[in-house]
Amino acid sequence: MINRVLTTSLLLFSLFVFSQTHLQKENLMSTAIKVKAQKFKENTNFYKAQNFFLQNNWDSTLVYSMKEINESRNKEILDYCHYFRAISFKEKKLLDESKKELNQISSGFPFSYKVKMKLGEIALSKNNFKLALQYFHETEKLTNKQLYDIKFSTVLHNIGLCYLHLENYEKAEEYLFKSAKRQEIEKDTLLLIGSYMDIATLYYQQYKDNQAIPYFEKAYQLSQKAKSLELKQNATLNMAVVEENRKNFPLALNYRKEYEKWKDSLNDQNKVWAIADLEKKFAIKQKQKEVDILEAENKIKAAERNGFLASSILLLILFGTGIYFYRQKIKKNRIILKQKNELDELNATKDKLFSIVSHDLRSSVNALKTSNGKLIENLKSKNFTELDTLLHTNSTIANSTYNLLDNLLNWALLQTKQSYFFKESLHLASIVQHVEYNYKPLMLSKNIGFKNEVAKSEYVFADTDSLKIIIRNFLDNAIKFSKENGLISIYTRTSTEEYCYLVIEDTGVGMSENTISDLLKDTMLLSKKENDDIIGTGLGLQLCKSMIYKNGGSLEIESKENVGTKIIIALQKFKNHG
Amino acid sequence: MDNINVLIIEDTVSESDALVKVLTDNNYNIVGIASTYNEALALFYNNVVDIVVIDVFLDGKPDGITFAETINIVPNSVKPFVFLTNSKDRQIFERAKLTKPFSFLMKPFNELEILYAMEMAVEKFYQQLNVFHSEDQNTVVSNDSLFIKKKKALKKVCIEDILYIEVEDRYCNIITETEKFVILISLTKIIELLDPMQFVRTHRNFIVNSNKILEIVLSDNLIVLKGNHHVTLSEKYKDVIGKFTVLK
Repeated sequence: MINRVLTTSLLLFSLFVFSQTHLQKENLMSTAIKVKAQKFKENTNFYKAQNFFLQNNWDSTLVYSMKEINESRNKEILDYCHYFRAISFKEKKLLDESKKELNQISSGFPFSYKVKMKLGEIALSKNNFKLALQYFHETEKLTNKQLYDIKFSTVLHNIGLCYLHLENYEKAEEYLFKSAKRQEIEKDTLLLIGSYMDIATLYYQQYKDNQAIPYFEKAYQLSQKAKSLELKQNATLNMAVVEENRKNFPLALNYRKEYEKWKDSLNDQNKVWAIADLEKKFAIKQKQKEVDILEAENKIKAAERNGFLASSILLLILFGTGIYFYRQKIKKNRIILKQKNELDELNATKDKLFSIVSHDLRSSVNALKTSNGKLIENLKSKNFTELDTLLHTNSTIANSTYNLLDNLLNWALLQTKQSYFFKESLHLASIVQHVEYNYKPLMLSKNIGFKNEVAKSEYVFADTDSLKIIIRNFLDNAIKFSKENGLISIYTRTSTEEYCYLVIEDTGVGMSENTISDLLKDTMLLSKKENDDIIGTGLGLQLCKSMIYKNGGSLEIESKENVGTKIIIALQKFKNHG
Repeated sequence: MDNINVLIIEDTVSESDALVKVLTDNNYNIVGIASTYNEALALFYNNVVDIVVIDVFLDGKPDGITFAETINIVPNSVKPFVFLTNSKDRQIFERAKLTKPFSFLMKPFNELEILYAMEMAVEKFYQQLNVFHSEDQNTVVSNDSLFIKKKKALKKVCIEDILYIEVEDRYCNIITETEKFVILISLTKIIELLDPMQFVRTHRNFIVNSNKILEIVLSDNLIVLKGNHHVTLSEKYKDVIGKFTVLK
């Protein structure tokens, strides 16, 4: 029973010894880490990891070193990270994880002796004493200089502990004494207490009570001066156990009480820590809550912003399409309006044409009517000389009315594209003759001279009927605007290879330049009447123009007022004619 | 020289009367006036007809075109024809155009126009365009007749009746058994158009209807024709005798 109690205290104690190496900051290593941190400043994860490592914030160190390991390929950084993780795991008592991390550190690591040391300590903690001993012996072999920041005494002490556990008491004694001696020289009280206790335990286990007790007492004395509650507790407990075994119960009781006192204060301290921990946790929770709320708020804000953005984009698109369609509509409207105006104009023209034509017809028929009345009257009175002139006027009126109607019909046919149109070779002189034939009596009655000097060799390529309509209209016009005793001549000008030029010349009233340009204007509208007393609608000329163009020809007018007019029609020649 | 025989197909009496007057005034011979399709066919096949004047619409139907289509089917019996029409309806024209050769005249027309249209019909039908109004020719040659323009009208001469042709500059003297007259056509052209088996050249200026030869006097370089016409046979063209089967 007693032995067992001692062993537990011993184990407790040996653990305590390990941690001592950490309590003293490893100055050399921390400076080396700081240098590395400066060097790899851009690796933020590494920088953070080392920062947390130096602040003993093990969890954060684990997180950031993991991140760095995942990202970095730099061997040096990896080694450091693994080292950080190993130490962190060890501090969190995850010895297996720690061991794994240590094993991943490459041999080039400048602090490899530390790695060995840690491995040894882990092995020792796991009661794998032989392995631990191996690691520690390797460390021991290194010279003092190579172990800058590790207390050689600690190594020796650990070896001693290993032998103690392996019950190799002689060796254990040797190493523990070596360690104690060093610690005495270095005046490291805390370690010394541990060493004394371990030496005492060593003797005590061999039942060398006389040798053991002074060390227990020495440890106890020293522990009174030390601050560490744990040390005090262990030392007191050891004294209690020793006194109990010596059957010195009052003293043992005293020690027990003292032990309880230390234990309580240790517990108090633990409680304070626990409360602090709770508070911390609470604060963290509170913070977390705040963070959650903020996050939620952010989310809402983001959602709001996204919604706003989406709706504004939608609105913009709607607006754009609206504008597009609106403009399209305006454009269409404009076109429609333009077309409407054109149509209105055309319709007005048609109406005007209609009115003029009906007016002309009305007056012609009326003239015919009155003339017929006179005819009947004269017939009754048997005034035969008058009859002749009346009949001539009648036929003239009928003729012009017929021409008007014929033009009207042809115009309508042309507009509706119903008429048959067939171009062929035509003997121009004959065609002119045919048209002229109908006007001979009229010209005779008006005493107008006529000359047909169309070259007999001219053949044109045109549609017979339209050519006749063209010539008829111009001839009709020429007669209409000729004064009595005038002269009308139709002749051909020297033709080119492509065209034959037919000229219809009169010595009539002629036209001004403006009238000519008005007549030749490319419009469907009818020109205004200038001579109200002369029957005409302008329809004839429009018809002629359209037909000339349809036959592939062109029209020119040369005129001088009161001198005469020359109508020049260019017609396509018939090419096949040899 | 004979008058041209014209068949008129027209259902409106006043118009056919006017037509008859114009044509007879110009020495055309009217062989008949048909007012229906059947009548027209009967008249066409029972008479010698040189030109047909057809009104497109007979009793409101385009039977005139139907008639033209009918006579067009038998190639050898076809004669030149002229369509008369009131309307410029395109569909009717497209149909009429299929009866080639095709010439038409819009109503109302004057004397010159109908005469011109008939001349055109003859020219187109015998495929000798631009003859009657040119300054160097006034004759169209068909396979059995010469159509000659005399003043305003056409005349015809049966080719079979010609004894010989004597060339004088741009003119040709046509000598038949009963007449002698001048036509305007070049020698090369008339030789081209006449049947070379029947008409042979015996001299630079003479073309002889071989069917009318009575005697060839080689010693005098003389050919005696019917009606006691004498034609010179020049050395250059003596080979033509080889064409005839000569009794010895």
